[in-house]
Amino acid sequence: MLGFLGPNGAGKTTAMRTVFRLINPDSGSVTWDENPITADDLLRCGYMPEQRGLYPKMRAGDQLAYLGRLHGMSKTEAHGSAETWLERFGLRERIDDPVESLSHGNQQRVQLAAALVHDPDLLVLDEPFSGLDPIAVETMSEVLLEQAAAGKAVVFSSHQLDLVEDICEYVAIINAGTIVLEGRVQTLKDSAPIRHLEVEVDGDPSALVELLEGVQTTQMNGERLTAIINATTDVRGFIARAQEASNLRHFTYTTPSLSDLFREAVR
Amino acid sequence: MTGLGTLWQVALREITERARSKAYLITTGLTILIILGLIILPDLFGGGTTERKVGSVGGGNEAIISTAVELGNAGDDPEDPPSIALETVPFDDRETAIAGLESGEVDAVLVDGEEIVVESVGGFAGSSFVDGLQRAAGTVQIQAVVREEGETASNIIEILASDPLEITTLSRGDPEESESRTIVAYFGLLLLYLAVLLYGTWILTGVTEEKSNRVVEVLLSSIRPWQILGGKILGIGTLALAQFLGTIIVALVALRVTGAFDLPPIEIGAVLILLLWFVIGFLIFAVLFGAAGSLVSRMEDANTIAMPMSMTAVVGFFVSITALNDPDGIVATVFTFIPLTAPFVVPVRSALEAIPVWQFLVAIVISIAALVLFTVLAGRIYSGGLLRYGSRVRLREAWRSAAG
Repeated sequence: MLGFLGPNGAGKTTAMRTVFRLINPDSGSVTWDENPITADDLLRCGYMPEQRGLYPKMRAGDQLAYLGRLHGMSKTEAHGSAETWLERFGLRERIDDPVESLSHGNQQRVQLAAALVHDPDLLVLDEPFSGLDPIAVETMSEVLLEQAAAGKAVVFSSHQLDLVEDICEYVAIINAGTIVLEGRVQTLKDSAPIRHLEVEVDGDPSALVELLEGVQTTQMNGERLTAIINATTDVRGFIARAQEASNLRHFTYTTPSLSDLFREAVR
Repeated sequence: MTGLGTLWQVALREITERARSKAYLITTGLTILIILGLIILPDLFGGGTTERKVGSVGGGNEAIISTAVELGNAGDDPEDPPSIALETVPFDDRETAIAGLESGEVDAVLVDGEEIVVESVGGFAGSSFVDGLQRAAGTVQIQAVVREEGETASNIIEILASDPLEITTLSRGDPEESESRTIVAYFGLLLLYLAVLLYGTWILTGVTEEKSNRVVEVLLSSIRPWQILGGKILGIGTLALAQFLGTIIVALVALRVTGAFDLPPIEIGAVLILLLWFVIGFLIFAVLFGAAGSLVSRMEDANTIAMPMSMTAVVGFFVSITALNDPDGIVATVFTFIPLTAPFVVPVRSALEAIPVWQFLVAIVISIAALVLFTVLAGRIYSGGLLRYGSRVRLREAWRSAAG
């Protein structure tokens, strides 16, 4: 599972559309298993566009079955799979309802089902989590994790970095159309030249910044100081100095979060 | 799945979804109701008095005319106005009478109670009028036979089975066939016109709808633009054909039941020519409407952008109405060679046998060439326009961004 990240306008949607030949790339190529991707390969892919698109007046079940058939499923397979997925998303009883009568969140579930209905090997999802309530987010991430566990490649874009950090094994961060950081999330964090530091003291924490070496960025929130510092910084020395200066109530020193890496990468 | 299999899936969706939609059921129901109304209502309400002027040359005509009036009005409710009123206009000889017929002074000329001269049997009203006089002439003969000689019944049957009046038309062609041809031409014209406007609009709005609710992005991720557009045209075309066939069948049954109007035998050749042009015409307009629909993102803009096509269809329709009256005139000839109007004009001219073979063939070649050209151009504009949102996409922009 790959989290595909980047600030607004970085080119995430464009890249995803390029995979499906919706856009002709100015340069470069799309490959699958080391070969240029073919129309047949694309039938083995599922796409959830950022702008959700379903026929509003078509019944949810028929709609999914139709998309399944367009991807080469037989009639029985397509209808069976449509039913299975609606069941999975708790929409079994809405199978004959027109899509427009479903709530926003349910439409989004149907949209994900539309990308999944033909059991694709590659899932490309453009912001699948945007606008979902926490419970829907949970179902959605469960399904994605299941797919990844079943050996499917899942690529999705999102701005919810905590979520991406939770469920993605890999991330790619792009900025202005170029990949600026990519790799296994854990490796990226471990090998990052920065660390994430959080300190809480009685009183104003701003004086602590003076005591800290190799500071990249700092952020003050009440009595808490959050800082990104160089990985080489002598933290033990800082703790000692901080304790001398005031009462240290809280202290964390971790590898940077994905958000930290992201901000660092696109800065 | 093969490319065409996918196209068929798209067509199938159009058919099942639209056939289930209220809009389709309502338009089908309304069309059938209107046709039934047109056929049945005049029959129920009598439709007032038909007035005709009959030129008379020589003797033996008065009896036929008065009998025709009697027969025509037999069974009328005495409180209603009579169904038919005939005025006799005497002429000195056949030539002046025919001149009077040509100038429109009279509607038909009876000569010596043996011959009837009419301009053509092509009109709708014409046939029942001639039939009425024919029946009247037969009746007069039977009355004479019974009165004078009291002959055996076989003679009467012979009279009943024959057409006592010899029919002469001023226009060329076999009268029976020319009538059937006019009907085919007229209905064919009407059907194509309706199909282009009604179902062309469906294609137009269908394309815009898919674009505006962004389904097209999901579709395009797995299938090609030509499959979407082709499937749409095939599906909607099939529905259009089904609706029209249904309407025609209902109309034929109603005509048979009410006997409102006798259908002459329809020539298969004329119908095939009509069908050929119907398909060409519908396809030409369908691809153009499809391309137009892909250029706009909002339904409100769809009709505006299709205006040039709708206007062309209207022009084609009215030129063809002109062609019905003057099938080898200069206007009809010129529009024969314009691909967008040929499907309207050529079937009319060919039904009236007023088109030279070479013109017919050239028109077919031009139209099919145009269809191929339009399909290529429209296909490219369509695939280029589909994913561009916002205001109207310019043609050039769509052309450039098309996945070539």
